[in-house]
Amino acid sequence: MLRTEYYEELKLLARQTRARFGLDSPRVLRSDLRRIYKEEGIKIDLWPYKPRRLRGAYFDDDLGATVMLAKGLPEDPMVFTMGHELKHHLVDRGLSLSYCDASNQSNPMEIGAEIFAAELIYPDEDFRDHLIQMGVSQGSCRPEILVRLKRETRTTLSYAGLAKRAEFMGFASRGAMAKIRWKKLEEELYGPPVYKRFRNRS
Amino acid sequence: MAQLNMREYVARRIRELRTAYGKKGLSQEELANMLGVATNTISRWETGTYEPTLNDLERLARTLNESILELFPKSSVDTPKKLAVDALLRAANELDQKDIDELRRYAEFRRAKAIYKRKPKQ
Repeated sequence: MLRTEYYEELKLLARQTRARFGLDSPRVLRSDLRRIYKEEGIKIDLWPYKPRRLRGAYFDDDLGATVMLAKGLPEDPMVFTMGHELKHHLVDRGLSLSYCDASNQSNPMEIGAEIFAAELIYPDEDFRDHLIQMGVSQGSCRPEILVRLKRETRTTLSYAGLAKRAEFMGFASRGAMAKIRWKKLEEELYGPPVYKRFRNRS
Repeated sequence: MAQLNMREYVARRIRELRTAYGKKGLSQEELANMLGVATNTISRWETGTYEPTLNDLERLARTLNESILELFPKSSVDTPKKLAVDALLRAANELDQKDIDELRRYAEFRRAKAIYKRKPKQ
């Protein structure tokens, strides 16, 4: 099977999983993933000792299927990591161990898990539709548009994920979204988040 | 192994690992300070009066630079599956050493959890 076919199959599986568990928006929460894990019989351990880059790991052996998640991850990376490990459970079982870290993955199994997780949270098709509805055409997507998209859809797919996809689909030119400080840009456009306002007040 | 035996075994191992730590060993007070618990707690773990939680044991093992599995009977630990995981961890060469160590610790914690769960209820 060609890599592209493999990745398309994973996207299909992600959409089927969304349908099976009633996920109908780009805002997928860790509680949604917890529900899926429960149904799939996957146990979760939140690991309080800070790994350097490791975010999660999937184990499947005589002790059953377990996912280790780095405790304290913010919502977006936590949801993405849970989606990533779910792919290993659904597709790669029998390999005993696989893991997810913050580096660029180089093997198709890991790239596939990234693609699955992104599609599970926010399907390509929905992303394309939303951008078109916002009047974005090929090559015209700017970082500000992605900030607006994220706010309006409240998606839990990270800015890095949205930017990568915008570039991949041709809405933005390659490299146009590199080195953007997303949180800073968000604050410039919409003001500081509530917790910062409270902190600054006291 | 019956629960009392397991508890006794763990209690004995805590004491052994504490007294063997470094060259001179640690006093209960020193260990308590390192863990941020009361000296009484260490004493009660070592006599089996209190049963440490799995998370307590993980913290203890880290503090003493040991694997959590060192606190459990060898017979309940060494399985071919564990060895397979060890081999896989060694193969996880894309990760840096700290993360490989963390994965190994988690794999050992997971196995310790299974041993702990197998104990009959008191």
